Amino acid sequence: MPGTKNTLHDTEETCMNIRSYLYGSAIALAVAIPAFAQDSDVTIVLNEDLETVEPCMTSQSNIGRVIQQNISETLVELNTKDGSLMPRLAESWEAVDEDTWRFALRQGVSFSDGSAFDAADVVKSYERAVSDQIVCEIGAKYFGGMTLDMEVVDDHTLEITSDPAQPILPLLMSTLTIVPSETPFEFMQQPVGTGPYEMTERNVGQNITLERRDDYWGEVPAVTKATYLFRSDDAVRAAMVATGEADIVPLIGQEQATNPATDFAYPNSETTYLRVDHGVAPLDDIRVRKAMNMAVDREAFLGTLLPQDAEAATHIVPPSTLGWNSDLSPWPYDPEQARALLEEAKADGVPVDAEITMIARIGNFPNVTEVAEALTQMFGDVGLNVDLRMYEVAEWIDLYSKPFAEGRGPSILLAMHDNSRGDPVFSMFFKYACEGLQSGFCSPELDQIMADATAATGDDRAALWKDAFAMIHNDLVADVFLFHMVGFSRVAERLDFTPTIATNSELQLAQINFK
Amino acid sequence: MNPTPPQSAAVKEKSKFAAFWSMLLADKLALAAVIFLLIVITCAFIGPFFLEYDAGRQNLRGRNAPPFDLSRGWQFFLGGDQLGRPLLARIIVAAHNTMMVAGGSVVAAMAVGGTLGLIAGNSRGRAAQIIPRLADVIMSFPSLLLAVIVLYMLEPSVGNIIIVLAITRIPIYLRTTCAEILEVRERMFVQAAKVMGASEMRIIFRHMLPVIFPTLLTIATLDFAFVMLAESALSFLGIGIQPPEITWGLMVSQGRPYLTTAWWLSFWPGLAIVLTTLSLNLLSNWMRTALDPKQRWRLEIGDRKNG
Amino acid sequence: MKSFLTKRAYASLISLLFLVVAVFFLSRLTGDPTNLYLPVDASLEARENFRALHGLNDPLIVQFGRYLADLAMLDFGESIRRSRPALDVVLEAFEWTLILAAITMTVVTISAIVVGSLAAFRVGGLFDRTATFFSLIGASAPDFWIAIVAIVLFSVNLGWLPTSGTGTVWHWIMPIGVLFVRPFGLILQVVRGSMITALGSAYVKTARAKGVASRPIIFVHALRNAMLPVITVIGDQAAAILNGAVVVETIFGFPGVGKLMIDSILQRDFAVVLAAIMVTALAIFVMNLLIDLAYSVLDPRIRY
Repeated sequence: MPGTKNTLHDTEETCMNIRSYLYGSAIALAVAIPAFAQDSDVTIVLNEDLETVEPCMTSQSNIGRVIQQNISETLVELNTKDGSLMPRLAESWEAVDEDTWRFALRQGVSFSDGSAFDAADVVKSYERAVSDQIVCEIGAKYFGGMTLDMEVVDDHTLEITSDPAQPILPLLMSTLTIVPSETPFEFMQQPVGTGPYEMTERNVGQNITLERRDDYWGEVPAVTKATYLFRSDDAVRAAMVATGEADIVPLIGQEQATNPATDFAYPNSETTYLRVDHGVAPLDDIRVRKAMNMAVDREAFLGTLLPQDAEAATHIVPPSTLGWNSDLSPWPYDPEQARALLEEAKADGVPVDAEITMIARIGNFPNVTEVAEALTQMFGDVGLNVDLRMYEVAEWIDLYSKPFAEGRGPSILLAMHDNSRGDPVFSMFFKYACEGLQSGFCSPELDQIMADATAATGDDRAALWKDAFAMIHNDLVADVFLFHMVGFSRVAERLDFTPTIATNSELQLAQINFK
Repeated sequence: MNPTPPQSAAVKEKSKFAAFWSMLLADKLALAAVIFLLIVITCAFIGPFFLEYDAGRQNLRGRNAPPFDLSRGWQFFLGGDQLGRPLLARIIVAAHNTMMVAGGSVVAAMAVGGTLGLIAGNSRGRAAQIIPRLADVIMSFPSLLLAVIVLYMLEPSVGNIIIVLAITRIPIYLRTTCAEILEVRERMFVQAAKVMGASEMRIIFRHMLPVIFPTLLTIATLDFAFVMLAESALSFLGIGIQPPEITWGLMVSQGRPYLTTAWWLSFWPGLAIVLTTLSLNLLSNWMRTALDPKQRWRLEIGDRKNG
Repeated sequence: MKSFLTKRAYASLISLLFLVVAVFFLSRLTGDPTNLYLPVDASLEARENFRALHGLNDPLIVQFGRYLADLAMLDFGESIRRSRPALDVVLEAFEWTLILAAITMTVVTISAIVVGSLAAFRVGGLFDRTATFFSLIGASAPDFWIAIVAIVLFSVNLGWLPTSGTGTVWHWIMPIGVLFVRPFGLILQVVRGSMITALGSAYVKTARAKGVASRPIIFVHALRNAMLPVITVIGDQAAAILNGAVVVETIFGFPGVGKLMIDSILQRDFAVVLAAIMVTALAIFVMNLLIDLAYSVLDPRIRY
């Protein structure tokens, strides 16, 4: 390994450095303490350091918040407010036929390494995302189960043919970050992109600095330099804005969000629900599932364990998603009715007294343990015998995903699902198709509706998804939907910036202005 | 003449107890500590029988009830927690698990570590080489990994947490015992006993253990706190005991987000930990003095002063 | 002496190997990193691809053989999560931890010995009671408690210190302060206990009788004898910090090895876990060696 010698060398340096380090700090202290940053600089505090700075990993929240649209841009940009698509590196696009789309690419765009942007870069970016030489999360998450054939018509025209047909291909392209065609098949340590900023410094575990590029193709943003810091503790992050050490904290705890001048709640596109395993009695009985839905006092959670702005859920996806069915209303809290349903089921020989395991994940979302404990008591109050088990993430994922263990007992699993891309297709197959990796049941009828919806476009698509949602919520009573969640951000008063649903996955510096 | 010895032994026994009692009375702090520890032990034993239901009953709409308000019943005297459960009742019930975890780990670690240390310290052979290296291995095996393995393979029950914490605390007893033995075995009286032909066992139990036991005891009482806090830290990291089980450590860590808005959630269980530790240490200090013939006069003088 | 060191080096090497074997196999018991690395909704082929790429499909013993072969070439493997050499990742973090541990333990040791000995001189006196009382309260308060209260007080309310992070000397004060509290209480108690015994022991009395009456000399005599158990506890506490002061690192955003270790364990980033354990173990072995040497310096009757 080439690092070996370096290693020993590093250790020596470490020991040598202690003194010079302290000395250096003392000087820095004497000189730099009042050296407040320039007014157009911002400091952003994230909850974890970035594991990598590789653009094909931007579907991870923190990597996305630093890189997406700041360093690396996409062909198309999703407007999370209304679900519409906006041009970014592609100026326009059109469907050539059922399975082929043509994209007209922007001209005069250059990467931060100086090379010019053209169609070959898009091809390479896709190849990297789905390559088996590196594992890219974007590829695994958005481009599984399909092959895209990219044909370069000329430097700035690209035709993409998909198999099977993808009516939402432009939406998919909003996830693909573009890197130069020279990029090798290994993770980048210095990301290169076409965006308005470039990474000028990275001290692992401590900070990342982005600085504004002079040769960006678009409008010049107001922020000249952004420094990202990493603190895991909610209270500390919140305190840093209060003390003036930071300007934006995308994520603070509900308990810390007490100052209306700086703290904003925003829907974070996450939905919590209980995945019910229909494979084991008594949960195979629809009356039991109805009773569970009626046993949950959703109102009682709001403003207590969960933020006041969270919403009782009826879908697995947030309200801004295509095909959202506004006719659905949450199951009412009705313990009397729930008890009656259970009695009825019991009379028919359904083993409603069986111990049901509630599986929850440690640290899944703020207050998850308390929410799970409260749910346990609510189920207990209507006569169900629910036993809470908190699991560590790895084991929880095994229990969440197929194949399920043979001879397992009845179980419900508390999970949170994120769909910020505006189309149900990214959620529904995994959660509800017979073959779905996290689906607790199988309904051929529902499978058919979902297959039709996936192939449809426009209003048809919306209408079909609407049917699917209604079927899951009302007819099948598949799961116990809980809440569409909100997150809290703290933004310094000197900034003009309002967090939105997009803040969960990206944080565009270009959208930040100064008051 | 024959019937006297048992009688005199009983009298002696009684007077010994009386002497201890008067020495305890002499040290008011130690007395307070004993009383507090007795209360904690009582809670640990009988608390769960009476208060299990009250301690678990939630009321979301009445969460984080402030302390010192008796209108909701005595159980809410210390306030309510994030799920509206009475803190006082929970602290009493949690005493059970907390004492089990801390006591169990400390006793187990002291027994295993002390024994290994005795063996290593008294042996001049291979054991003296191998056992301390075992301590090295345990010391460098991260307790967090151990906790995750247990959490994944087994379940985060009280018994398993005891195992995790006990293993991580073995090296300190092992190394202390070993080091002390190395020193003690060179002392005059041990050498004398050897020369006089006392058996190995007799030397260890009669001559060495009494000398090193006070040190072990000091470490154990301090460790008691350490283990309670380590258990709390595991909860802080999400790999400790899991609800619906409760311990003081878990309560402290669950109340942490509310430190600035509802301080009582983590303050009271934290105070319980602090007071228990403090009591144990005051008691152990008192015991060191009371058991040491050279130091005992301090308490006897104190007694006379107070008397 | 030289043969002792050689022997010790071999023994440590064997311990290290034992540790690596234990950690390698035990950590594999905690599941496959694939599910954690890929999003929950990744396709089966993406999962298969990931396993093949990282050699997770091979039998465990083959994986271990490969790891040892690499290790023999001083290649500690690559971090799955970070796509960088595991050893680089660990050494970056360990540098911080080492400095933190060194400063904290120096401050702790000096203050605990001074305060503990003074307390032992007048057992039950005002100084003794005050020192014992407050150090014990400090030692038994949860560290995240102290840390957060300190931040609220010194950073938010008073504005004296930065909340967290690294950069200037001021950034180090709160982490060291919080780390200081517990070992200080523990070591203080052990120093105090040992000193009481030592001051009452025959040879100090002899020293007094011989007329070496001045306090400092008695102090030095007694201290020297009282140090054996103290050093053990110091070692134990230093090892705890070297293994990572997870809570302090987490709260103060301090890029040390403890946070790295817990993250890597939870993410099943085995190469980093193993590298971190080897680096910290080596440091702890060296420290234990120093402690054993200190024993024999303090008590010439102990020989190796």
